[in-house]
Amino acid sequence: MSDGLGNILLDLFPLMWSGMITGCLYALGALGLVMIFKSSQVVNFSHGNVAGFAAFLIYGFSSGVLLNLSWGVAVLLAMIAVVAIAFLIYAVISPLVFESELTATISTLGFGLIAQGATLLIFGADIVNLDLPIPRFSMSFLGLFITGYDLTVLAVAVVTIGTLFFVVDYTKLGIAFRAISENPFAAEVCGLNLRSIHLFSWIVAAILGVVGALLIVPTTFLSVTTVAAFMLQAFAAAVIGGFASLPGSLVGGILIGILMNLFTFYVSAEFTSTFLLVLILLALNVFPNGILARAGGSRV
Amino acid sequence: MTEVLSVSGLSVFYGTSAQAVENVSFAVGDGQVVTLLGANGAGKTSIMKAIAGLIPSRGEILFGGEPISALPARERVKRGIIYVPEGREIVANMSVRENLVLGGYHLAARDRRTRTEMVLDLFPEIANKADRAAWRLSGGEQQMLAIGRGLMAAPKLLLLDEPSLGLAPMLVRRVFDRLAAIRRESDLAIVLVEQNLAMSMRICDELHFLRGGRIIGHRTAADLKDNAARQEAIDAYLGAASAA
Ligand SMILES: Nc1ncnc2c1ncn2[C@@H]1O[C@H](COP(=O)(O)OP(=O)(O)OP(=O)(O)O)[C@@H](O)[C@H]1O
Ligand SMILES: [Mg+2]
Repeated sequence: MSDGLGNILLDLFPLMWSGMITGCLYALGALGLVMIFKSSQVVNFSHGNVAGFAAFLIYGFSSGVLLNLSWGVAVLLAMIAVVAIAFLIYAVISPLVFESELTATISTLGFGLIAQGATLLIFGADIVNLDLPIPRFSMSFLGLFITGYDLTVLAVAVVTIGTLFFVVDYTKLGIAFRAISENPFAAEVCGLNLRSIHLFSWIVAAILGVVGALLIVPTTFLSVTTVAAFMLQAFAAAVIGGFASLPGSLVGGILIGILMNLFTFYVSAEFTSTFLLVLILLALNVFPNGILARAGGSRV
Repeated sequence: MTEVLSVSGLSVFYGTSAQAVENVSFAVGDGQVVTLLGANGAGKTSIMKAIAGLIPSRGEILFGGEPISALPARERVKRGIIYVPEGREIVANMSVRENLVLGGYHLAARDRRTRTEMVLDLFPEIANKADRAAWRLSGGEQQMLAIGRGLMAAPKLLLLDEPSLGLAPMLVRRVFDRLAAIRRESDLAIVLVEQNLAMSMRICDELHFLRGGRIIGHRTAADLKDNAARQEAIDAYLGAASAA
């Protein structure tokens, strides 16, 4: 093996590894967007800002800015807050959902702005630090540099995504969710309450969003726009997955994570956003029904 | 005989202008099968959907003597009013069994299991395909699944909207024989929408003829026993086009 090729491989594997780790986080964001879209045909543009607000709440509750609680209690309170916010947003838009998905979608933009405004109002425009209480260790494995953070992200992603897929595939609630996604009239005929299933999606999405935000913030810092920017990649992941496929968003997230990492390293760190847009456009053209769509099959 | 369903002065409007159902009144007794017969666009489906609470309507609907017009569709399902829609409306990407779970969504887990077995016994054609995706069933099997899904919820009143649509005559007969068997075994009342007079005659007690959203005539099954009377009713209410 020539030296050059060896070096490329030495770079490539770590890049792919860390890309996959971030990709899992994009997938957490994407899964929430897709769950909401599948059940109610609404694209939730408030997803990032609400999750960002929740991250700030955790910071506020645990740093002494608002309260001086332990990290765990702060996370619990923030989770309760996002669930309440999900309730509130859905309560306001639910009359719209059955009239026009487009109007409902546009009104989520409004809620995103409100969440961002509330964040600014309470916490200001400063950058803050929000760390995770995770084991700080690292090890080398087959040339990969693996940290406690990596393993934490991987474990959390596997458990949450695994649980979600189990619920959707094997429980009564999952049957209701799939029925509403595919044939809302059939679901109504069978006496299902469409609103409560929509709400289930909104709540699961909100929780996945906070988990994603919590895990992404330690890699950078927390500002008013950090989490919203992160959700942009989650959005791309959802688009690559076809926006209506849960497994598709997982694959899309990991793909985006890896490709963005490779692009940043080998091409340019400045143009990653442009690259992301090109990826989205390419995906829409090459896989209009998502990367996992069977030829001629339906989106599942 | 006690009345399961009593509809009076039922009207259905789509939007502000078009009136699909106009002042329709009829009743269904315990264990009775009532057929609504009429050409395309006569308002049959609209009446069924109004009774099921799937579209807004005016007029009075009593179920077991109680007014239900204000109840949402899901509350009517819980009370035992089950609509089996035209065009089947099964969930294509879910398995047969999952579709049945959907039908028995409000039941306790144990009841749901026993009813699933009962439905699969009733329709052996789909029993050996229970774990197959519903879209892989034939049209007739899908219709059986749709009816089976309706039976899952322990209905007291089944609203069957054109169960024979798109089925081969032999399959239609099989579906109707199954319905007749269910009827014999329970006091299930059925409102049946059919365009096929001969087939609905196999199980029904009463017929209402519909045109332009109104009931224009009424016969009991006994009235139509002989061929001459049947032909007379067809000529009077359905016109030559429906004679087949
Ligand atoms: N969603 C709707 N919006 C507007 N008009 C409708 C709608 N559904 C039905 N209609 C109209 O209401 C009238 C009655 O329709 P309905 O579906 O009840 O007829 P039907 O007797 O079931 O006909 P078919 O035998 O074709 O199923 C028709 O004129 C139809 O065009
Ligand atoms: Mg009809």
